Amino acid sequence: MAVLSVNNIHKTFEDTPVLKGVDLEINQGDVVAILGPSGSGKTTLLRIINFLEKADQGELTFDGTTYDLKTISKKDIARIRSKTGFVFQNFNLFKNKTALENVTEGLIVARKMDKQEAEKIGKEMLDKVGMSDRYDYFPSKLSGGQQQRVAIARALAQSPEIIYFDEPTSALDPELIGEVLNVMRDLAKEGMTMLVVTHEISFAHNVSNKVIFMEDGVIVEEGESHEFFANPKQDRTREFLRLIEARHDN
Amino acid sequence: MDARVWGILLDSFWKILIKGIQVTIPLTVLSFFFAMIIALVTAMIQYANVPILKQIVRFYIWIIRGTPLLVQLLVVYFGLPNIGVRLEAFPAAVIVFSINEGAYCSETMRAALEAVPVGQVEAGYCVGMNYLQIMWRIVIPQALRTAFPPLSNSLIGMVKDTSLASNITVAEMLMQTQRIIARVYEPMALYLEVALIYLVFSTILTWLQRYGEKKLNAYEGSK
Ligand SMILES: Nc1ncnc2c1ncn2[C@@H]1O[C@H](COP(=O)(O)OP(=O)(O)OP(=O)(O)O)[C@@H](O)[C@H]1O
Ligand SMILES: [Mg+2]
Repeated sequence: MAVLSVNNIHKTFEDTPVLKGVDLEINQGDVVAILGPSGSGKTTLLRIINFLEKADQGELTFDGTTYDLKTISKKDIARIRSKTGFVFQNFNLFKNKTALENVTEGLIVARKMDKQEAEKIGKEMLDKVGMSDRYDYFPSKLSGGQQQRVAIARALAQSPEIIYFDEPTSALDPELIGEVLNVMRDLAKEGMTMLVVTHEISFAHNVSNKVIFMEDGVIVEEGESHEFFANPKQDRTREFLRLIEARHDN
Repeated sequence: MDARVWGILLDSFWKILIKGIQVTIPLTVLSFFFAMIIALVTAMIQYANVPILKQIVRFYIWIIRGTPLLVQLLVVYFGLPNIGVRLEAFPAAVIVFSINEGAYCSETMRAALEAVPVGQVEAGYCVGMNYLQIMWRIVIPQALRTAFPPLSNSLIGMVKDTSLASNITVAEMLMQTQRIIARVYEPMALYLEVALIYLVFSTILTWLQRYGEKKLNAYEGSK
């Protein structure tokens, strides 16, 4: 069953069309990787799906209900957001909160959960991402990889139906990428539904079951992951993969 | 200096200091408290870009920053009675200092709010918080931390500015000094004495500022 689908999304920034009619469908348990060159509109797509940016046109279906992205109400936005998690490229942990508070903040403030229960969940989630020894650390005292794992724990605490990741490892030093990808791989194994913008080809290849290649605001090609890499159909896709592989070999 | 001057200085020290404790400090604390409220509200209006209110705030800041504090004091205390508004000297001073300091601190607060990365707000939305919750729990605490040093400077500046209140008959430290001078005619010694007391006040506040900054650093970890 589709957790999320979007239809015909258009977005223009100051006369520059950035998304030109994007369709997407994500099923329960899917791990979908979005690949594409810089500026192709990947971040914009993710931000629109989570209402951080307003689409000029398009529809979104979540849990079987379809919304017009131009007219969706604040209430519906809040309701959908409460069932999704978002992991940013640069973590965006609350700087004035400890790791544990980062995870519990949304539960206590937005969901009015009592503090003890929230902390129980918070600790559980931090344990899950391997941060059990850092509950009381402020983000400024954590490495990038640790911050991103806390951010993932924060998203998990929402008990989301889907988590969006926008290049979760791009801001990390190379030696810290692995710890974050491992956490994501574990989530995938547990059946978490994820939409992941990434430049990590190995992740797209080995963890995701579906790959989407975007360029210039449109989806150029999409397919089952192994098929996508084994037999890319479009010239543009082949070219992109060749470029990326060349970069990895260096 | 002869024994007479020392005697005067010693005698007047407590008389001036007591006014500092009874008038200067309460005037500063009250005015700064109200100034902070004004600053926070007006800064938030600007930050959130609230139409109309934002224009009013800009106008308020323009007027207050564009006219001398002393003139503002004189207008409120000596001018307003002309249109039937009569205020006691101390409340008049509190009102003027609050409004004046509020305008300057508003700009400090606005800059500090705007310095909080937009990602902090977006992350708040993504965990289901609403705008006011995000402002109150995430953005304002971070902005206050950024604004702490410049706001401390404003507070220290304000202690000294309260001396202007002597012009509207508030019996604060400078007024007291001038009264004593009129009696004993030792302007040099007495003006230096009151200056020294202001210096002590400012120095204590500077220490408190440093202590506060250290606390904040320890609490959140250095940036
Ligand atoms: N707020 C904005 N205002 C104006 N232009 C924007 C804005 N956000 C994005 N753009 C433009 O939209 C285009 C797509 O940006 P987007 O960030 O979605 O690309 P991306 O695929 O995520 O790229 P990258 O791989 O570099 O992250 C770019 O040309 C970018 O300059
Ligand atoms: Mg991007």
